[in-house]
Amino acid sequence: MTHPHSRVGRPTFGQTLSAALAETQLRLINITRYPGQMVMEVVIPIVFAAMPMLLGRASGPDAAANFAANTGTTNYVAYLLIGSAVFTIVSGAFWHVAYWIRFEQETGTLEAVYLTPTSTLTLASGVALYSVIRGLTTAFIAYVIGCLIFQVNPFSGDLLVALLFVLSGLVPLYGMALVFGAVVLRVKESSAIVNLMQWVVSFLMGMFFPVSIFPPLLRWAALLFPPTWMTNGVRSALLGVGFFFDVWYLDLAVLWVFMLFAPLFGFWVFNRVERSVQRNEGIGQF
Amino acid sequence: MQNRLTGPSAFLSTLFAMAGKELTIMLRYPVEFVASFGQVFLIVATVTLAGLMFSPQTGANNNSATAGVVVYGFVIFMFLSDTLWTIGYNVRRDQKQGTLEQLYLSPASKFANLLSRISVTLVWTGLLCVMSAVLMSALIGDLPVHNLPLALGVLALTLSGTFGFGFAFAALTLRIKESAQTLINVIQFSFMVVCAPFYPFSALPEWARAIATAIPLSHGVDAFRSLLMGLPTGYPELAPIEVELVVVAVFGIVMPVLGYWLYRHEEDVARRAGSLSEY
Repeated sequence: MTHPHSRVGRPTFGQTLSAALAETQLRLINITRYPGQMVMEVVIPIVFAAMPMLLGRASGPDAAANFAANTGTTNYVAYLLIGSAVFTIVSGAFWHVAYWIRFEQETGTLEAVYLTPTSTLTLASGVALYSVIRGLTTAFIAYVIGCLIFQVNPFSGDLLVALLFVLSGLVPLYGMALVFGAVVLRVKESSAIVNLMQWVVSFLMGMFFPVSIFPPLLRWAALLFPPTWMTNGVRSALLGVGFFFDVWYLDLAVLWVFMLFAPLFGFWVFNRVERSVQRNEGIGQF
Repeated sequence: MQNRLTGPSAFLSTLFAMAGKELTIMLRYPVEFVASFGQVFLIVATVTLAGLMFSPQTGANNNSATAGVVVYGFVIFMFLSDTLWTIGYNVRRDQKQGTLEQLYLSPASKFANLLSRISVTLVWTGLLCVMSAVLMSALIGDLPVHNLPLALGVLALTLSGTFGFGFAFAALTLRIKESAQTLINVIQFSFMVVCAPFYPFSALPEWARAIATAIPLSHGVDAFRSLLMGLPTGYPELAPIEVELVVVAVFGIVMPVLGYWLYRHEEDVARRAGSLSEY
């Protein structure tokens, strides 16, 4: 039997949503104060993609044909730009969610946050929403500008399926980011870990190459990462490089399985670490 | 007492003490060391594997040539980045921590202060580069290693010039303060594009190649990797190797002197204006 006053002091869904959106708004206002940083976020993926592109172009007139033989498409510009755009989203997720906790620790506001009736997971959801908006915007602009600079059509292929893969991949990605948020909460030294993890995931997801070139064990490890399915799904939809299961809906189904489990796993890990830290050294110590 | 504070022994003593302090700080963050090594390896591996996607499946020779371009260019990129952050931006860190003025109140050599930061860069970055090269060799076949003594000479001179650049950047940090961080990012990305550490200069359009030719550091990148790759056809790309060696030598000798002179000048300006501890 539920006690009539059991919800007293607990926020309603509307209040929780309001708190999450307030966190999102706060972060968005904050970032608009740094236009230079936003410009750099668009430039960085283009420059990253340009590195292998220029390396490849210098290899001779057969560059596109060789690339097609290795990856399944001659459109290496879009292939590499998709990789670096997804990298932007992935690294953004890690930095924004994991570093948010560290930032609150450093500025001394994390303990204050814990004293409010709003749960950290609500605030983390707000940060995740902000991160999605920021990451998707910069990735999309970088991809389009990059394609225009290197003179390829950015909107060839099945845009709707590509969009489905991106949106479906975001949920498990932020579940993973929450796990790393927990690691930051525990280990404190966030920059080194986040820096490393964003590159591990980017390497495993095949930022600039297909994961089929990996040895079997590494390939299996790569397939356990949702960004791998997201990247390959977008590439297959736009460039026709080939889905892992040959048809788009089976690949998408795998991503949906991740979508169910990754956030739950992320929440579970984060809650456990949070409780453990609260019981021991305290949340504000860094 | 005066003899203990001036002269070569005092200079060396200061240098070792300050380098020791920097190394002690470094060793207190083993997670960061492991993470930075992993990160460096992953970046090199990612770019190299991406480059290999453009190669026909003709065997290890082609692969190791591609890896050679990337790995050897990356070595100089790493040193430049670290120099900008550890020499240039560390002055800013001292300002923020409030220790810069105290360092100036001590009789310790200012040059030793700057030089001590290089020692950490040499140990840390050098170790990262060597380990990355070894791992890349294990992964995709032996990297080409020719003309090693001359290539190391080129690397030493290029690094000397880079350190001079770091001194000059430290001077600029004293003047522009927090904006230095943004400027480092801009310089790093400009270097990545124009000085072609990850791809041959032939990939650049004509106008960008003209800019690259005018930058001494590009000649350092070009000469270093061309020598190690055994001067294959088309390498060096910017000028004949003899010309590149002269450019690199001049860069390596003049830039540290110029950089240090600029640093002392800006330091003098900051002391007169009383802005040394401002941030």
